[in-house]
Amino acid sequence: MTKLLRVALHEYKRHVFTKRFLLGMLSIPLLGLAMVGLAFLLLSMENDTTPLGYVDQSGLLADPLPGPEPEKPYKPVPLLPFETETEARAALEAGQIQGYYVIPADYETAGRLTAVYTDKISRPARWQFYDFLAVNLLRRFDPAVVNRLLEGSEVVILSPDGSRVAAENTILNFILPMLIGIAFIIAMFTTGGYLMQAVTEEKENRTMEVIVTSVSPGQFMAGKILGDIAIGLTQIVTWVLFGVLIVVFGRASLEFLRSVQIAPQTLWLILLVVLPSFVTIAALTAAIGASVTEAREGQQVLGILVMPVWIPYMLMFTLMTNPNSPLAVTLSLLPFTAPLTILIRDGMTILPAWQIALSAAVQVAAAAGSLWLAGRIFRLGMLRYGKRLKLREVFGKGY
Amino acid sequence: MSKTLTILKNEIVTLLSRPSFWLTTLGLPLVAGLVFGVIGGLNRNQAASQTFSQVFLGPQETRPEGYVDQSGLIREIPPSVPSGAFIAYPDEASARRALEAGEIAAYYVVPADYIQRGEIRYIRPDFNPLAGDSAQSDLFTWVVQVNLAGGDWHLVNLIQGPQEVDEISLAPAPAADADNPMTMWVPYTVTLLYYILIIGAATLLMNSVSKEKENRIMEILLTSASPRQLLTGKIIGLGVVGLLQTILWGGTTYVLLNLSGRTFNLPSEIRLPPDFLAWGLVFFLLGYAVYASLMAGLGALAPNLREASQVTFVILLPLIVPLFFSNTVFAEDPHGALATGLSLFPLSAPVAMMARLSVGGVVWWQPPLAALLLAATAVLIVRAVAGMFRAQALLSGQPVKVKTYLRALMGKM
Repeated sequence: MTKLLRVALHEYKRHVFTKRFLLGMLSIPLLGLAMVGLAFLLLSMENDTTPLGYVDQSGLLADPLPGPEPEKPYKPVPLLPFETETEARAALEAGQIQGYYVIPADYETAGRLTAVYTDKISRPARWQFYDFLAVNLLRRFDPAVVNRLLEGSEVVILSPDGSRVAAENTILNFILPMLIGIAFIIAMFTTGGYLMQAVTEEKENRTMEVIVTSVSPGQFMAGKILGDIAIGLTQIVTWVLFGVLIVVFGRASLEFLRSVQIAPQTLWLILLVVLPSFVTIAALTAAIGASVTEAREGQQVLGILVMPVWIPYMLMFTLMTNPNSPLAVTLSLLPFTAPLTILIRDGMTILPAWQIALSAAVQVAAAAGSLWLAGRIFRLGMLRYGKRLKLREVFGKGY
Repeated sequence: MSKTLTILKNEIVTLLSRPSFWLTTLGLPLVAGLVFGVIGGLNRNQAASQTFSQVFLGPQETRPEGYVDQSGLIREIPPSVPSGAFIAYPDEASARRALEAGEIAAYYVVPADYIQRGEIRYIRPDFNPLAGDSAQSDLFTWVVQVNLAGGDWHLVNLIQGPQEVDEISLAPAPAADADNPMTMWVPYTVTLLYYILIIGAATLLMNSVSKEKENRIMEILLTSASPRQLLTGKIIGLGVVGLLQTILWGGTTYVLLNLSGRTFNLPSEIRLPPDFLAWGLVFFLLGYAVYASLMAGLGALAPNLREASQVTFVILLPLIVPLFFSNTVFAEDPHGALATGLSLFPLSAPVAMMARLSVGGVVWWQPPLAALLLAATAVLIVRAVAGMFRAQALLSGQPVKVKTYLRALMGKM
């Protein structure tokens, strides 16, 4: 046991206390922040406050009521009336307006507009103009009714027992399990890469031969896998801390952060489904590392292993909108695809208890199976050079 | 010269004899063709597409939903709503009983203070937070709005904006339709493809150099060929193979998109313009020259592949940046300042300009200018890397850092 821990500790220390690991670990939250910044930048770039013109032939805007102010971060665009289309066109060609709308006499019955522009009319300006039109279409109604008609309804979704509530400002809670799932997968594969690199390297430079004189192959492999999972959890914990920091400091200014919470069920899912999958992947990676002769060859085999894990990511939208389809249920039960699928579904629906239990059972069985397989491959392959391990040898008797 | 040719030939033969090369070269177009074929087939075959959507989306029948109106707003259901889609219940308890009996799939509660707060509760057994935007709940909120507006459903539809907008653009080139999903996908696919092609070819070159360095074949090669002959032979050899790949992949994209124009009824401006292929070759060759020589220089400096990997990221960064923007900037504003800047800046031009060209409507002088700038950069970089390709560097086992790499590129070694 002490030998196992020693191997795990060595593996942990040699990877975690390097500049490359720390940089890689910090780059993910920083990248996230950069993306958010970029999104804000793109939004503010849409803020074209060049006036927008309109030519009213319907009389609807003869004595117009002002439209509602656009929501932040958009700035209001001045709306200029023109008498005739020729005037509007001249202003457009002179660059005084970004475009203009023509409201025909039969607008209220036909609902047809004409938009004239050189570069597409910016989206905020378009919305502002439509709201302005709507206010004037509704002028005969009570102000409270007008306000409700303009703002529309907010549909708040509840589960029948009332334990789960989904409103617009709690949307983060539904994608949070998914984000955790993605973080786990990223951690799984970065640490898997380290693990395989360590194994192939020790095999290539013959360190392995020295190590097995004092540690049994089983202890050696288990120690490596344990160290690998510890590295992965270090990454996850760091990222979670970053998340907590963002929530704590952003709470004051950003409303949607206030309702953030992780349901206890999500934690159970992580423990029962995601962690066994982590063990499966780590064991298989170690096995690959021990059976190939060159690091590059291992990368290729690992690539094949990666694919099924990312399938739910590629099908994310389908899984989110239809969390109870046969596809979603199947994917949340199979090994490899289960961790991300079940976390996506956890946010989006109420998971039946039998599916959680079955999925957890499958993942634990898969983890046990791959540990057994890895132990066998490790014993057969770790001291073999220049010749690849054959499948017949792994499963055959007498080896 | 004949030595360069020998090296060139050797590179091509080694690469073409690798099964993994053929797997990616032929596999990608094959998979793409298959996907297009399946989607096209599904569009035509009703029964198959139904099973498909059953598996992917689950049962799609719309079951009746109930509602409890505590506000007294809902007086009538507009005639355009299918009869029986929404069933009224006097209070929540009876709606809940109907839900438990399976008579309705879900129910809505319109609270008494709806006009003030605008909140509608939607009780669903499967609790899907995205159901608030589903077709059926949209229909219900529409029903509430129509009742709020005194039954004038035409007016309610107009509040959301006009039913139809005739767009007249005074700009010379037709702008792509922002609502069509293909508008986003075409530049994205082209950017990704170009990124994979250039990086793939450049990485091959680096691998080939650093592998030979690692297993000491370099030492033997240098006894009979000069470093410069080695570099030229490798770059041209792998370039020829990469070109082959580009033509194959570019051709497939072209054919598939034009075929799918028929299958999917795409508007003509989304199909690739014919001069796209010609520019595709130019930007691949120049982009390859720049990135392949940068990577070859790295291969020459680094003692092994693992050491090289941290510098690769820095080298490839300018190519990754356009990839980040591919489905936002290049799809929505392909001729704005940012997109134009990226497509003229030599290091990001190969990917960015191709993305813009795939959207169409690029001003005529920009592709040649970008190509010219890129060509000038290529000449400078090939020269700098040739300086790095010296026996001293090729034979050393010094570890490589970003700093040493940049210093070597500047010729300060």
